Amino acid sequence: MGNETKSSGASSLGGGGGGGFRAKMEHYVYSGEKKHVLAGIGIFTVIFGIPWYLMNRGSNNHRSHQDYMEKADKARKARLSSSSSSDKFSIKALDSVVRVHPQAMGMASMNSNGESLKLCVFDLRRGQNEGQELDKILFFYPPDVSFSTQLSVIGLSEGLITFTRLFSPEAACEVIEAERHSHVFYEAEPDIWMVMVVEKNKEIEAIWRVDALQKVLKEVHSLFVMFHGSIRSLLDKEPTGGLIRSHLYPFITDYLNDLSVGKKLQLPSFRETLKERGTVQMLTLARDAALEVQSLVGVLDSCAGTLRCHSLILFHDLLVSTTLSPDDTVDLFTYSVMRLTSNALSSGTSSWSYLRKGTSLSQTSSRSSSPQLVGSSDPLPLGNGNDAGRVIRPLQHNKWSKGKDGFLVTDIWGKDATPTIWLQQSQERVHLLAYQHKCLTLVLLVPTVAIVNGELDISFVKHQVIENASAKILKVEEKLSKGWGGENAYHVSGYRYLLVDNDMEVSRASPSGKVATLAKETLLAINKLRETVDTEKSRTKQEKEMEICIRAKNNAWAIARLTRGKELYMALEKASDTLLDATDSVQSFSNRYCNGTFSMD
Amino acid sequence: MKEKNSTTASTLGRILATCSKQAKDYGSCVASKVHEVEKDLCLKEFLALKNCMQHTVKIMSSRPSSSQTSVGSGALSHAYIQHPSLHCNIPESRGLFYDDANRLLICVTSSQVFSWETAPPFNPDVSPSVDSVPEGPILSVRFSLDEKVIAVQRSDCEIQFFHRETKKKLTHKCRAGSESILGFFWSDSPLCDLAVVKTSGMDLFACDSAMNLRLVETKKVNVNWYIYTHESRLVLLASGLQCKTITGFQLSTAGVVRLPKFEMTLATTESNSKPIISAGDVHLVTVYGRIYCLQVDREAMLLHTYRFYRDAVVQQGSLPIYSSKLSVSVVDNLLLVHQIDAKVVIIYDLFVDSRAPVSAPLPLLWRGYQGSDSSSQAANKENKSPESSTSNENIVMYEDAWAFLVPDLILDQTNKVLWRVHLDLEAISASSSDRTSLLEFLQRRKLEANKAKQLCLGIARALILERRPATQVTQAIDVLVTAYSYSVKAGIYKELKNEKTTATPPTDGASPDNERGRASGSSIDGEEEVEMDLPSGSSDEQQESQLSSPAISPDELYKFVFASVEETMVEESDYLVAIITEFLRSISAEKLKVDLNIYVMTVRLLARSKRFAELSLFITNKIIEPSKEVALQLLESGGQNLRVRKLGLDMLRQLSLHHEYISSLVQDGYYLEALRYAQKRKVTSVRSSLFLEAAFASNDMQHLAAILRVLSELIPGFKETSEYYTFHGLLNETSSSVAV
Repeated sequence: MGNETKSSGASSLGGGGGGGFRAKMEHYVYSGEKKHVLAGIGIFTVIFGIPWYLMNRGSNNHRSHQDYMEKADKARKARLSSSSSSDKFSIKALDSVVRVHPQAMGMASMNSNGESLKLCVFDLRRGQNEGQELDKILFFYPPDVSFSTQLSVIGLSEGLITFTRLFSPEAACEVIEAERHSHVFYEAEPDIWMVMVVEKNKEIEAIWRVDALQKVLKEVHSLFVMFHGSIRSLLDKEPTGGLIRSHLYPFITDYLNDLSVGKKLQLPSFRETLKERGTVQMLTLARDAALEVQSLVGVLDSCAGTLRCHSLILFHDLLVSTTLSPDDTVDLFTYSVMRLTSNALSSGTSSWSYLRKGTSLSQTSSRSSSPQLVGSSDPLPLGNGNDAGRVIRPLQHNKWSKGKDGFLVTDIWGKDATPTIWLQQSQERVHLLAYQHKCLTLVLLVPTVAIVNGELDISFVKHQVIENASAKILKVEEKLSKGWGGENAYHVSGYRYLLVDNDMEVSRASPSGKVATLAKETLLAINKLRETVDTEKSRTKQEKEMEICIRAKNNAWAIARLTRGKELYMALEKASDTLLDATDSVQSFSNRYCNGTFSMD
Repeated sequence: MKEKNSTTASTLGRILATCSKQAKDYGSCVASKVHEVEKDLCLKEFLALKNCMQHTVKIMSSRPSSSQTSVGSGALSHAYIQHPSLHCNIPESRGLFYDDANRLLICVTSSQVFSWETAPPFNPDVSPSVDSVPEGPILSVRFSLDEKVIAVQRSDCEIQFFHRETKKKLTHKCRAGSESILGFFWSDSPLCDLAVVKTSGMDLFACDSAMNLRLVETKKVNVNWYIYTHESRLVLLASGLQCKTITGFQLSTAGVVRLPKFEMTLATTESNSKPIISAGDVHLVTVYGRIYCLQVDREAMLLHTYRFYRDAVVQQGSLPIYSSKLSVSVVDNLLLVHQIDAKVVIIYDLFVDSRAPVSAPLPLLWRGYQGSDSSSQAANKENKSPESSTSNENIVMYEDAWAFLVPDLILDQTNKVLWRVHLDLEAISASSSDRTSLLEFLQRRKLEANKAKQLCLGIARALILERRPATQVTQAIDVLVTAYSYSVKAGIYKELKNEKTTATPPTDGASPDNERGRASGSSIDGEEEVEMDLPSGSSDEQQESQLSSPAISPDELYKFVFASVEETMVEESDYLVAIITEFLRSISAEKLKVDLNIYVMTVRLLARSKRFAELSLFITNKIIEPSKEVALQLLESGGQNLRVRKLGLDMLRQLSLHHEYISSLVQDGYYLEALRYAQKRKVTSVRSSLFLEAAFASNDMQHLAAILRVLSELIPGFKETSEYYTFHGLLNETSSSVAV
């Protein structure tokens, strides 16, 4: 397919950074026929923001323009039929935003059943031949749409990926904005793509940030990998694809259940703009508490004899300590907050958890009463000859409960079976044991190698934990509860902020209850600001320092500061503030709460 | 420290190490003649090796540190008496007395009184002072507390006093017939200076400088016998048929306190329904500042303990005894119960609630020579020890004529020698398996504080090297840290290594630290851990005399335990980190400070085992306290991990170490940020060429121009420097269009 486009010409374009390619398609139409996707692309106009230091590279661009035209032609032959003339096509810098104007064609209605979201997973390496296109599809949501609709969505996505790879082979298309839909792309694994199609409706709530949507895709995928291993490995295990389909279907559906509010899926909208998915929220510890925690970690480390156990400790929904790499920590943290912590366990009875559903406070209905998209008793489709009953569904609700000994139990992995997960960092499978004492949740990861006698060894490890660590657990819980500032502990009055540390994958934000008090205009301004920053960031790999201040319609200030991997977004709703005042506020915030990280003037 | 003592294997290792040459010779001899091997073929080499090994053993055993493989009876022991003893063999001696108030050993002849100082430090070579007294029978002798007056009991109704300077003489008599004098002692209570115990009670007298006695008070009690020790200032008067009703008075500096009367416990059997307690069955001991009374109950074979409080006497359990004849000594606050018939001594630590002995019953040992006690002995040990060992070969342990003097002296009345009882801490620690309680035990030792300290360090190190479970090591560390914190609070611990701490301040990272320590030549710092325990040279000895507490400061723990095991624990840094965490927790619980090198070490260990996530947790939670050294270590370890490097940079910035921060930023290629920072903070110490070269290397002429401009504003006179010309010239060459 379009894989041969890893050309020197294109990569010379991408030499400056290899950033993502954002295409914005304002109107587009396609035939809707079952086999070919014929995206008519009319006029390509390019809007580019060229940093001043790239100005003097003009000659370079002219040279590569030739190569790139050739590639474009090839690509057209392969996938796209385009009526556009290539001379209207001008790209001067790699990090431009491509706006696609399809004119002549209309698109078949995608939301046959009023569904506002489509989510698909497909493998570009499969179904290369005519008639076998269905083979590509690994997952499609909603499951009840016709194959032709599924194929048309995937065909379009594939076409766009192939096309954009010409310009940016390393990171192809990220998003296509059409009039009524946004297509968000995420390449989860090489040639395995996840695409989310969201409907733009008139409601104001449907304003989102592309990165936030992408983070959703990323989160589903990494959670999936944590439990089942990579999609590719499952495909390799059973090339017919039945296995992966039978795993993906319940998993993603269970995940989407979490997003559903009432009967609708609630996607991260602009209201959640002061939040960062895919990061960990940490509890700030005093030194003595930290030492107690670390001492507990030391005990947990050695609970399975000589082999070191990893552990994760949470207090309420905040991370206290981890011995895992940031990526693994994020995955496990996400899962813990979703299903394991005391708040998650009690969510069956009380629907409210300020961290998970904070933004939709007003709309949240009790989860238990909300209809589940896939009930646990539903027969699993797409079995493809596989024993569907054996598929593990770790994201099912209300499957975890606290046992008598303080350890959490579940029958997701089968009766009396201990859950196992896959760690990316060490590439090993580990048993997951969760222990809970009041609001303290301990997740202990025991290497499978250390467990020779199955459940016997597991119960030995549990015994070790109870024997050696109980006293310390009590002490830590006591210390943390004493220092616990409640759900609004990290509220700084006068500020609404989001702090992201990309290195550690840690974020901290104003409590959502407080963010909810911001005016809609302010939130929209921050959303806009974040989008701008996302674009800027994707243009270059090197971390840079950046400061952007926007004055919103309601005279609020939206401020972003980036410095060496750390980001600070802030809303200041004091209409009387001048820019100078706003900067001073940021400065004092930075000095007081971020060790002066963002003091850059 | 003394690992070699705790395991026999290391003893052998030491021997072999010393005799490596001979061993090699013998080995190569055998190897070369392996085909024609026959008896005595390599005899010469073998004999050389044998001699060397025997010699080494001898040297080692002459040291107190290798007590188990000892001379003398060759048996294991935890307590020993040691040559040289104090010889008090005066011709025509009429008797030996001990004045426990002044710690004088007194030998009397018909007209003279010889007295030897025995107060610690016990010096056997002290010469006696001689006083002459008129002839006559002498029942007991005691010097007044200022040692100006000698009081001599002549009979059961007469005591004579002689002033040593004025030669004044005074005779005190009691009513003959109706009462008799049981004894007397001097007191330092403000009320009285002298107490005379008679069968009818106790008379307290004041004595002025002119030696006039004035009766102050009389305590009427029927007394069968009494005991008194000066260290407790307590006199117990026994009355009743079985002598088990005890009236006690404490003649302390606060006045005379009457203790409540109490009855001793006595078991009765059919054969002996009314056993009688004699004075020899009751002992007063003072340990850890508490006063105990020990009473032998022969029928029950128990030693009852009573503790004296101001207003109460409380029985505190009983110790089993294995001998009808019994005596006690107190060494370094430990109770030594001599089971004389069984010829063993059992050591108890009354500090702990349990009445279990510290160690198994073992005989008291006679030991020929102790090396580390005084340097003069060390000098003549070669010629002295053989001679004295022959002279003392007729020692019989626990002879009938032995008298046990308060607190820790043994007087052999047959041989007329006086010994001091010593404890062998190494042997005790070697025989104890519970390291935590052993450490507690050692931390309570005052007498041989340095030895106890070194043993503690050795135990701590061994625990880690043996990879004991972290909980065990934690307990041990807690013990040491709490003991230190306690002794600091109590003011016992003195920072005695002033000159050393100034010699090794962690100013510029670790390496110069080391060198300086070596250069200063002070024994502890300079020599590596193997040598630390050797009683080599004078500095060690000084230390021993200075050291009043075995408490180990966190810095020393770091230096002698953690730093010294780091090398060997490379493979197990996880374990070591866990231990260090516990150490830090323990220290922070006691609100103590520690050498920041331990933080540097923690960073190094975490980075080595690639635990970067935890490392950043340690930093953000301030478990590792920020410092320049830590920051530099982070930068160094950050070579493998950018995040770690950033942590180091952040730390530099937070510590306002502008120069280092800017240099590191430039090094990472962030020269613009660095320059901006320099401009803001007005830092001019960073070489300007750093920025210029970085910008030039990035081939960005605009940046170069900007930097030149900023620098010429920042540094006065920059435009005159050669750098400015060089780069300005370069700039003009490359692009004439860019204006500066």
